[in-house]
Amino acid sequence: MSTYVYGIARRSHPGPATELVGVGNPPLPVRTVAGGELIAIVSDAPEDLRPKRRDLLAHQNVLAEASASGAVLPMRFGGVSPDDDAVKAVLAERAEHFEQRLTALDGKVEYNVKASHDEEAVLHRILAENAELRAMSEANKAAGGGTQEQKLRLGERIVAAVQQRELIDADVVHRELTGRAEAISVGPESTGWLANISCLVARDGADAFVAAVDQLAKDNPHLSLQLNGPLPPYSFVE
Amino acid sequence: MTVVPAQQSRSGGGTSGLYDVLELVLDRGLVIDAFVRVSLVGIEILKIDVRVVVASVDTYLRFAEACNRLDLESGRNASPGLPDLVGEITESGARGKSKGALSGAAQTISEAFEKARDESSSESRPRTRRTTSRKKEEQE
Repeated sequence: MSTYVYGIARRSHPGPATELVGVGNPPLPVRTVAGGELIAIVSDAPEDLRPKRRDLLAHQNVLAEASASGAVLPMRFGGVSPDDDAVKAVLAERAEHFEQRLTALDGKVEYNVKASHDEEAVLHRILAENAELRAMSEANKAAGGGTQEQKLRLGERIVAAVQQRELIDADVVHRELTGRAEAISVGPESTGWLANISCLVARDGADAFVAAVDQLAKDNPHLSLQLNGPLPPYSFVE
Repeated sequence: MTVVPAQQSRSGGGTSGLYDVLELVLDRGLVIDAFVRVSLVGIEILKIDVRVVVASVDTYLRFAEACNRLDLESGRNASPGLPDLVGEITESGARGKSKGALSGAAQTISEAFEKARDESSSESRPRTRRTTSRKKEEQE
């Protein structure tokens, strides 16, 4: 029977407060495998494990519960060991590294911040700041929308201005969060956001961090900020 | 290139907040070479939650038309770039952006997680907050 691994903790970790179940259908009971001063939080691995939403949530749930009572290094979803002995071997082999990371992450949580533009608000802002674009827009509007060519000319300029604004705002968000977090990890540039930044925050400083993000949102009403956390420190394990 | 968040998954419990956490579960976290990794084939189901709109003729037209729809009355009379102005416009907009930014409109990712757990007792639940209560699909 292969072994699904959720995370790694110290042997002194008290374990989750409640009996947990993990991946699989029906969900498999969570247990620990000890090796030296470390434990791995594991369950049996289901035969046909796939990245289904339910199993992804189960992975996250186990880590959220276990992290509530002590430092845990969260695994990425989908790590399967051939058996418990192979887990023990990994714990022994990389004990020093794991213990160093557990010390560094003790009492800390991750918050993920994604920023995107509120489209209507950012267009307002761009037109308010740029008289030429405002004039073009008003001329188009007065002409019942304008010709295709006028629309394209305006649209191209607007898109360029929005992109400019995205860079400026990404920098604003980055700078603000850098000053508020113990460490940051910039996520992949991808679709749907202008900034995707994970922040490592002391658990007892979380309220202040959330308040700072709240303030950032108030100061930048054209930004839509999405804050997720507290989470296990996925982005800070390596 | 401009990216615009468009569609979010409508399947069970699907919120973009959920998506945002799953992205971390899938892309970050500790990887151990000695372990087999589950194939992520099929994970596009999650990834298509957000769609890229590449800067193109269509995008230009869309933005030009979005500008045409804007009410510029207050924009014309105010000095440019006043945050108050933007805030005011935003709040009075039809989309009902709330004043308190993050304070309201919490999206309930924790509820989605709770559905997936049999036992529920924890003092620190993941939270998801949004600055707007607006649904993404309204941007379509």
